[in-house]
Amino acid sequence: MCSRVQFEHSNEVGVFAKLTNRYCLVGVGGSENFYSAFEAELGGHIPIVHTSIAGTRIIGRMCAGNKNGLVVPTSTTDQELLHLRNALPEGVVIQRVEERLSALGNVIACNDHVAFVHSDLDRETEEIVADVLGVEVFRQTIAGNVLVGSYCSLSNQGALVHPKTPIEDQDELAQLLQVPIVAGTVNRGSDVIGAGMVVNDWAAFCGADTTATEVQVIESVFKLGEAQGSAVATTMRDVLIDQLA
Amino acid sequence: MVVYNFKKIQQVPTASDFVDVVLSKTQRGTPTVIHAGYSINRIRSFYMRKVKFTQTNYAEKIALILTDFPRLDDIHPFYADLLNILYDRDHYKLALGQLSLAKKLIDTVGRDYVKMLKYGDSLFRCKALKRAALGRMCTIIKRNKAGLAYLEQVRQHMSRLPSIDPNTRTILVAGFPNVGKSSFMNKVTRANVEVQPYAFTTKSLYVGHMDYKYMRWQVIDTPGVLDKPLEERNTIEMQSITALAHLRCTVLYVLDISEQCGYSLAQQTALFKSIQPLFANKPLLVAVNKTDVRSMDDLRPDEVELIEFIRSTGATVLPMSTFSEQGVADVKGAACDMLLRERVEQKMGTKKVEDVLNRIHVATVRPRDARERAPAIPASVRAAREARAMDAEGGDDGGVLPKRKTLRDLQEEEGGAGVFSFPYQNYWDLKTDEWKFDVIPEIMDGKNIADFVDPEIEAKLEALEAEEDRLIELAELEGVAEPMDDDDAATHELAERIRHKKRLIVNKHRDDKGGNRPIVPRSKVIRPERTVEGLKRHLASVGVRTGDDDLQNLRKRGRSTSPRRGLSASRGDAEEAAARTGSKKPKSELTPDERKAAKLVRSHSKVAIRGESKSASRPRSRSVAGLRDESMVRSADKLLKKQQRQRNLHGKVGESDRVITMKKEKWMLTGKRGIGKTDRR
Repeated sequence: MCSRVQFEHSNEVGVFAKLTNRYCLVGVGGSENFYSAFEAELGGHIPIVHTSIAGTRIIGRMCAGNKNGLVVPTSTTDQELLHLRNALPEGVVIQRVEERLSALGNVIACNDHVAFVHSDLDRETEEIVADVLGVEVFRQTIAGNVLVGSYCSLSNQGALVHPKTPIEDQDELAQLLQVPIVAGTVNRGSDVIGAGMVVNDWAAFCGADTTATEVQVIESVFKLGEAQGSAVATTMRDVLIDQLA
Repeated sequence: MVVYNFKKIQQVPTASDFVDVVLSKTQRGTPTVIHAGYSINRIRSFYMRKVKFTQTNYAEKIALILTDFPRLDDIHPFYADLLNILYDRDHYKLALGQLSLAKKLIDTVGRDYVKMLKYGDSLFRCKALKRAALGRMCTIIKRNKAGLAYLEQVRQHMSRLPSIDPNTRTILVAGFPNVGKSSFMNKVTRANVEVQPYAFTTKSLYVGHMDYKYMRWQVIDTPGVLDKPLEERNTIEMQSITALAHLRCTVLYVLDISEQCGYSLAQQTALFKSIQPLFANKPLLVAVNKTDVRSMDDLRPDEVELIEFIRSTGATVLPMSTFSEQGVADVKGAACDMLLRERVEQKMGTKKVEDVLNRIHVATVRPRDARERAPAIPASVRAAREARAMDAEGGDDGGVLPKRKTLRDLQEEEGGAGVFSFPYQNYWDLKTDEWKFDVIPEIMDGKNIADFVDPEIEAKLEALEAEEDRLIELAELEGVAEPMDDDDAATHELAERIRHKKRLIVNKHRDDKGGNRPIVPRSKVIRPERTVEGLKRHLASVGVRTGDDDLQNLRKRGRSTSPRRGLSASRGDAEEAAARTGSKKPKSELTPDERKAAKLVRSHSKVAIRGESKSASRPRSRSVAGLRDESMVRSADKLLKKQQRQRNLHGKVGESDRVITMKKEKWMLTGKRGIGKTDRR
């Protein structure tokens, strides 16, 4: 299921939330509308936790995580760390990393098995990411962008990447990730996929501006609805050509 | 992409309003007080300004109208034709042309009268000229009364035209009057077009929008068309024909199989045949409507033949009933699919499609190793999905799943956003819930507790202690280290002292180096008194032995630099110098030679001392600054002269030559005497 939500009139859902298969982090807002959009979909299955990281609400860009763990930047305060530790389920490892590129959400994109990282990331951070998140780490760029976390969204069932990613790059990334990849947009043509949406293996949330076609692409590539993963190349092909070209 | 929006055209005033508006603007926008006693130039410019102002106002307003109205040659042919049918192309162009001519005329009038005003020789004449100019301009506008009125009417009508996008996905519904075109439109869109049981209910084009395959589709409902030659068609019918001719769309030709519309199937087929040229290159779908009244199976053989004829032209024939809604969805789907296929075929191979090919590609996976990378969907999610599916299958009586009470509901109950607050400890997943609200200090005994939180602290501590014990044992086993001999001990001691001193120096340096510390006023600083004894001690401590002679020198120097001033000191020194020359006699007993010698010494020393005896606050001449004594000054002087000799010999420019780097205007220099006169340099 892909839901359209807004955080205080901003469509950048991936900035204010972090969704994994075992927990969901949500930025602290003025009202509970954003939180409850997640709660309605995920409540009862995984903990949905209000938090701030380094005193900011842009938690989705600050941290990176999957079902095994969560890495937070060094600017995370002790109280936030305490709160996260107490709120996240047993077995999720939380690790603070000393990294110059402190917006970890922008420089790390991961699912439960594979992570793409920024090409300038510290070697130590890379090792920590591999250990804490239990993933294979690859230094990659997405359509020439080093901010891999901003320009793609990964789950264990599929991946959506920057709309300008060439086919050869998509094939290479798919080979590394071992999931099908589609290039697309969210929020009515925005190319910052990672910032525009969050996804796990059974739910996705994107900005309220996302068009019906974009939602359909998301649902098909992440295998969220009945649509097949290959729908983009088959049933939706004509629609996409007519809309994009 | 051009967006056709005729709602933005500004209102066109009537001729009399136009005149009123411009004249009152002139009155408000230009000065109004003039007297015959003013200079004639002022009077002229006063009236010229009025004329020019009026002229530009007219020109601006007319130009606005001319730019607002679309030029028929520039817009999409569909709109050009539609405007032609509705407002008559010639009439429209003529009205705009006349207005543009009026603008030109007004400009000429303005120009002419401004020219004449230059020669006005009295207030009265100037005023008369202005009156004439304004009057002529207003007459020109008044002559365009009909044109302006027509344009206003056109504007009002245009603003109510449906905003049809000629380039988007479009389905065009056409057919005889009263066959159910508008009913179809109302079924598939929410346009709410009026439907009545008489012909020509729809008198103009209507637009509705619908969704199909996640896209927006434009449905255009056209007025009914009768089967007659093109020349005899009225405006209402011609709108349909224009839309059919110019829009790239699926044509949905509606047939009334029940013949309730008053036209037989044969007549409807005849119309189909006659307007068939308009369907060329467009997907064509024939919807046989009102099958609830008469089904396709009830057709007579000759009617079946007609349908077959329609099929033979390449059209798809589908039955539908807008009354029972049977087949409506099929027709809609078929129409959209046909158009979509057509549009995609046209676009394939173009540059734009090549640019988006990467977005209709699904990168598939070849396994790169044996590892399984399975999705991690919790069992509870799967269960909830199944429950939802069951719920949907169960229908009405299946019962709706209980809606979860969210935090937002709670927020609304507790007074809304901003009032409601929620302790985030509630999320905490601890062994006992009682712990959630335990108060934990952040800082304790000046230490951040978080720094000491470590779940394995006990184990680590034990390990550390064990290691320490082991090391101690090891040390005991090895016994005491071999004793150091004297040499080594001395070296060690020296090294230790050096290190200690170093530390002291570093610390002192750090203390001296600014930093974030209070600044003590100089007067409050306690400095060790500087004495010769102190210096001696210090020198001794660093290993310089000082004898008594050195001490004497130091004492003397200390005294000579102390702030004694005036000639008394120099005299004393001079006498000392004289003493050094050997004469110990009193002044009066000196021989002339001796006196001369003493004088020479004194005069030299005077030069030297005068410099030093000046108050310290007065800066010394830069030419002698940094030179120790007079001999040094002299030698420096000698050196300088020697260096300049060659240059002077060749008459070259030196750095001390006067130079005027920039020649300034005379007025910038008047009164300035460099070396020149009062008025010029």
